[in-house]
Amino acid sequence: MTDSPVSAPSRLALRAGLVAAALLMLGALALFYVSLGGKSATPYADSTEVTVTAKGCVPNAISVPAGKRRFTVINGSERAIEWEILDGVMVLEERENIAPGMRQQLSAQLTPGEYAMTCGLLSNPQGTLTVTEGDGSERVTEVSARALIGPLAEYQVYLTLRGRALAKAAEQLQQQIAAGDLSAAQQAYRAARTVDQQMALAVGLFSDLDQRLNARADYFAQREQDPEFMGFQRLAYGLFEQQSLDGLRPVAEQLNHDVAELRERLRAEGVPAPQLARGAGRVLQAWHDQQQGQAQLSELALADLMSLQQGVDKVVSLVVPVLQQAHPEQAAQLAEANQALAAQMSEGSAPSVLPLTEALAAQLANVNPLLAAAN
Amino acid sequence: MLISRRVLLAAALSLGALQAQAAVAPQALVAPITDYKLYVLDNLEQFTEHTRAFTEAVKAGDLARAQALYAPSRVYYERIEPIAELFADLDASIDAREDDYENGVQDPTFTGFHRLEYGLFHERSTEGLDAYAERLMVDVNDLEQRVQGLTFPPEAVVGGAAALMEEVAATKVSGEEDRYSHTDLWDFQGNLDGSKKIFELVKPLVEQDDPAFVARIESNFAALDDTLANYHLSQGDASKGFQTYDKVSERDRRALVGPVTVLAEELSTLRGMLGLD
Repeated sequence: MTDSPVSAPSRLALRAGLVAAALLMLGALALFYVSLGGKSATPYADSTEVTVTAKGCVPNAISVPAGKRRFTVINGSERAIEWEILDGVMVLEERENIAPGMRQQLSAQLTPGEYAMTCGLLSNPQGTLTVTEGDGSERVTEVSARALIGPLAEYQVYLTLRGRALAKAAEQLQQQIAAGDLSAAQQAYRAARTVDQQMALAVGLFSDLDQRLNARADYFAQREQDPEFMGFQRLAYGLFEQQSLDGLRPVAEQLNHDVAELRERLRAEGVPAPQLARGAGRVLQAWHDQQQGQAQLSELALADLMSLQQGVDKVVSLVVPVLQQAHPEQAAQLAEANQALAAQMSEGSAPSVLPLTEALAAQLANVNPLLAAAN
Repeated sequence: MLISRRVLLAAALSLGALQAQAAVAPQALVAPITDYKLYVLDNLEQFTEHTRAFTEAVKAGDLARAQALYAPSRVYYERIEPIAELFADLDASIDAREDDYENGVQDPTFTGFHRLEYGLFHERSTEGLDAYAERLMVDVNDLEQRVQGLTFPPEAVVGGAAALMEEVAATKVSGEEDRYSHTDLWDFQGNLDGSKKIFELVKPLVEQDDPAFVARIESNFAALDDTLANYHLSQGDASKGFQTYDKVSERDRRALVGPVTVLAEELSTLRGMLGLD
C-alpha cells in the first residue's frame, strides 16, 4: 500500500501484496459496518432509544442510571433534526443534522441529576432526562489527567490575560514615576501590585524573577540600602515610606523588563498540575508568615492579601469541580475555607484574617496530592 | 454500485484511525486549549463590536448600512460556533433559523440574526426591528460574559474542527443559512477558518504519527480556500467579503461538497487520536 521504491518486484510478491491489501480493506469495511451499529450487530444492546417526531421526543421523559450511557436517536419527523442533552442551558452532548428516518448513536458520561433534552424544533417542548444514582460501578475514585486539561488551560488563559494587564499597569507606573507625580504614582503602584499579587502563584515558580519583583528588604544584607533591593517592595518603600520618587525611575524600568520576561516564560511553560493547589497554598502561607505577630495589618498588607485571595479564588473555582466527584469531602472543605476567608477579609483585623488564611492554605495543601497524582 | 465510494473512503479512514492510535499525553493538550480560548476571546471582542455597529444601524433605520454590516458581523460567531453553541439558549436566540420553529417567521420567539435578516433582506425595511436589534445586543453581551467564565471542555474544542465542517455541509452548501441575504460564503469562510484554527493548534500533536493525515487535511482546506477565492469581492482578500451565493456556479458548488465531506469525516477522528473519545 506504500510506494516504497522496491526494484523489480516479483509477480508473486505483487500478488501477495494485492491480496493483503484486499484483506485489509475487507477488514476495514467489516469494522465500518460494525461501527454503523446496524441492528444485526447490536453492539449497543444497552442503548436507550428516543424518537424525535414533528412534535417532540418519544418518550418525553427518560430515566437512566448514572455512568456512561448510550442513546439511539431516531428521526421520525420530516426534517433534519438535532437532539441535545442539556444541563441547565449548557449543551452536554448533541447530535446535529440527523436526516429524516435515520438513527444515530451517541454516548454521554452522566452524573446523577435532572437534565433536559432538545427534541427537534425549538418550538417543541423539551424532554426530561433523569439520571439516577447508579449501582456504584460508575463511581470515579480518582482525578484523571484528562479532567485536568480544561482547568489547567483555563488557568493559563487567566495568567495570559493577567499578564497583559500587568504589563499595562507596570508601564503606567513607570510613566507616573517619570512624570514626577507622587500621588498618581502611588495609585499606579496599587493597580500594578494588585495584578502582581493575583499572579503570585505563577511568579513564585521562577525564583529569580520572584526575587527581583517581590523580595522584601529583610532578605537583603543592607536591607533598604542594598543595591539588589528592587521591584515592588523597593517602589513601595519610596512611594509610601519615604513619600518620594527619588531613585525610583530605574527601579520602575527594571520592573517593566522583569514583567516582560515573566510573560514570556509563562507563555513557554505554564503551571503544571502538581503546582496549582500547592502554589496557591504557598503564597497564602507566605503572606501569613510575614504578618504573623502583627497586631494590626497595614493598608498595603491587607491590599496584598485581597489580591492574593482573588488569584487563589480562581484556582479554587477550577479545582473544586474536578475534585467533586472523586473527593467530595475535600472539595467541600476547600470551597468552605475559601468562602470563609473571602467573607472576613473586608473586616481586615489580623486576629480574624490570619487563621483563616492559614486554614485555606492548609486545605489547598491537603488537596494537592489528589491533583498531582493525576499527572 | 452497492458499495459507494464514500463507504470505501470511510472504511479506509477507519483503518487510518486504527493505525493512528497515538498516545497523546493529556498535558500536551493544555497549550492548544489555552490558545484556542484566547482565539475565541479575541473573536468575541470583535463580534461584540461589530454587532453593536450592526444593531445601531438597524435602530437608526439605516437600511443600506444594516444590510452591509449583517454578514461581516456574523463571521466572528461562525468561527467560534463550537463554543458559542454550548449555550443552547443563546445559540437559539442569536442564530436560530425560521425552520427551527413550527410557525417559522411568525413564531414570536424567533429572534436574532436570521430574524433581522428576514426584515432587512426580505421585507427590505428596518421597521419593527428595534426590539430584535436590542435583544441581539443583550444576548451577544451575555454570550461574551459567559464564555469569559467558561472552562473550555477539550472534547468540544477538538470535536469542533469536525463540527464546523458538518455545519458547512448541513447548512452552507445548500444556501439555506442565509436564504434572504445570500451571504452564505461569509459564513462558510468563518466556519472554515474556525475549523482550520483548531486543526492548526493540535497539529503538532498528530503530525509525527500521521503525516499523511495532516497532508490530507491541509490539501482539502486549501482546496476550499481556492474555490472560495473565486468569489472574493476583492481578489485575494477574504476580509473584504464575498459575492452572493446565487452567483456560485454549479461546478463550484460541487467542488465545495467533496472537500467539505472529506474534512468532516477525517476531522471527526481527531478526538479519538487525541484520547478524548
